[in-house]
Amino acid sequence: MSWETVIGLEVHAQLSTNTKLFSSASTKFGSEPNTQVDLVDLGLPGVLPVVNKDAFKKAIRFGLAIDADINQESSFDRKNYFYPDLPKGYQITQMTKPIVEGGSIDIDVDGDKKTINITRAHLEEDAGKSIHDAYPDKSVIDLNRAGTPLLEIVSEPEISSAKEAVSYMKALHQLVTFLDVCDGDMSQGSLRCDANVSIRKVGDPELGTRTEIKNINSFRFIEKAINFEIKRQIKVLESGKKVTQETRLYDSGKDETRPMRSKEFANDYRYFPDPDLLPVVISDDEMEEIRSTFPELPADKSRRYISEFQIDESEAEIISSSRELSIFFEVALESKNDPKLAANLIVGEIGSLLNKDNIKIDESKLSSDNFNILLQRISDGTISKKIAKTILAAIWETGRNADEIINEQGLVQIQDENLLEEVITKVIKSNTKQVEDFKNGKDKLFGFFVGQVMKETQGKANPKAVNDLLKKALNS
Amino acid sequence: MDNKTVETISYLARLKLDKDKKEKITKDLENIIDFVAELQDLNTEDIVPLSNPLEKVAPKREDSVTSRNRKEAFLSNSPESDQDYFMVPKVVE
Repeated sequence: MSWETVIGLEVHAQLSTNTKLFSSASTKFGSEPNTQVDLVDLGLPGVLPVVNKDAFKKAIRFGLAIDADINQESSFDRKNYFYPDLPKGYQITQMTKPIVEGGSIDIDVDGDKKTINITRAHLEEDAGKSIHDAYPDKSVIDLNRAGTPLLEIVSEPEISSAKEAVSYMKALHQLVTFLDVCDGDMSQGSLRCDANVSIRKVGDPELGTRTEIKNINSFRFIEKAINFEIKRQIKVLESGKKVTQETRLYDSGKDETRPMRSKEFANDYRYFPDPDLLPVVISDDEMEEIRSTFPELPADKSRRYISEFQIDESEAEIISSSRELSIFFEVALESKNDPKLAANLIVGEIGSLLNKDNIKIDESKLSSDNFNILLQRISDGTISKKIAKTILAAIWETGRNADEIINEQGLVQIQDENLLEEVITKVIKSNTKQVEDFKNGKDKLFGFFVGQVMKETQGKANPKAVNDLLKKALNS
Repeated sequence: MDNKTVETISYLARLKLDKDKKEKITKDLENIIDFVAELQDLNTEDIVPLSNPLEKVAPKREDSVTSRNRKEAFLSNSPESDQDYFMVPKVVE
C-alpha cells in the first residue's frame, strides 16, 4: 500500500529586539541566570505590560516579505497553563487577531519549485528555562528568556516530505536573517520548529490523525525526526492500529520520537482577551515607515551585483544569499575597491576559511577595515593575490593589521626589474634541459619557468612582470 | 454546572476544593451563569466583539533596555532559591 505524508510546520522565530515583548529587560543570550528579569517578566501583581514597538516592526516586515495581509489592528490573548517557567500562569499570545495573516514562501527541492502557503504569523512571549538536572529533588528556573518576543509562523499543511520541510525551514531561515527579524541561530534556539505530521492513503481526501513533534532545533534533526515519525505511523497503521493524536519529542541521541507525558500539557488553554493589553494599532504612517526601510532581498541583491559590478553570477549568488557576507562585500565597495577582486576573495579564500571554522564573517577576526587594507595592497601592487591568501590566513588566526603582517614577514611584492631579471637568469641557467625543450616548441613549459621564479621569490614576484621578463629572456 | 465541570476547572486553576466548598462554588457558578445568560437573548449579529471596554489603543514602547539587574532582590523574595536560580519542586522525575 502506498502512503502520502502531510506536514504543517509551526516555526518560532525569536525576534532580534534589544528588549522583551512587554518589558524593557534585555534579551541578550548567554548572560548570568536571572539577571535580565523585570517585574513584568516575573508576573508580579500590579504591573502592566507595554508593547515593544520594534517587535511589531519586525513582525510586519516579515509579513510584507511574504506578501501577507497585515492586520493594522491586532490584539493579545491569554493562553492559560501552569508550568514553573511561566510565572504568570499564562502566556500572552495573539489568538484571535494575529498581526500577520496569509502570504506564502517559495521553496526549492532538488530543483523543483513549490509554494507553501502561510496561515498566520503572530507575536507571543517566550517562557523561561527550566533545568531539571541541577539537583536530585528540585528543578531550577532561569527567567532571562521569559518574555522574549517570538514570531510564530504557521504554515498550511502543504509540505509533503521531510526534505520539503527542510527546504521550507532553510528558506525561512534565509528570509528572517535577511530581514534582520531574527538572528537565525538554531543552536541557541533562536529559530525552532514544531512539526505536525500525518499520513494517509494516496488519494484519500481526509487527513489522517496527526502527531506534533515539539522543539526541533536543527535542519538535520527536522529531516530525521519527520522521517522517523512517518515510518512509525505507517507501521502503526499497517498493523491495523490507529495513530494517537499526541505531542512527541525527538530524541537525537536515539534517533526516535516518543510521546510527552500528556499531563504536562493538558490541552485546555481557556484563551481569553488579555484585559491588561489594549488593541495595538499600526497607523498608515508607521506602515509607510516600515515599507521605506524594507531591506533588499537576496534575489534582487544578486541581480544588482551582476549588473552593477559585473561579478560572476555564481559569486553574486553566494554573497547575496548571506546577510553577513553581503554587508561585508558592500562595505568593502564603499572604499572604492575592485568589486571583482573583493567578490573573488570573499567567495574563494574567505569562504573556505569560514567553512573550515563553521562561523559567520562577523564572528571572524577579519574586520571590514582590515579587508579594505588588504584589497588596496593588492590593487596598488604591493602584494600579489597569491600572497594575499597567506596574509588572510594570518589575519584569520590573529586578527592583526594586514600592513603589519606584510612588513613584518617581508611579503611586499617584488617589482624591481633588475632583481627579477637576476632570478630569471638563475632559473634559466639551472634548467638548461627545459630551456632547450621550450625553444624546440614545448610552449607548456612556460608555466614551469613562472613556477620556478615564484619559488625562488617565495611567491612575492609580481606575476605580470615575471611573465613579461621571462618571455623576453626565453625568446632572446 | 455539574460536579465534573467544577472539578475540571479547579484542576486547571490548581485550586484544591473540599466537598463543602465544591458544592457552594457549584451553586455560585450556576447563579453567575444564569445571570449573564440573559445576554443570550440579545441580537448581536452585526456587533463586533469588544475585547476591551476602553476606547483607546495600546501605547508602544521604544526598544531600549532600561530595566536593571535585580537578581538578588528577586531571588531573596522567592520561597526557595540558590545563588542563581529560583527553585521549585522537581517537575520531571
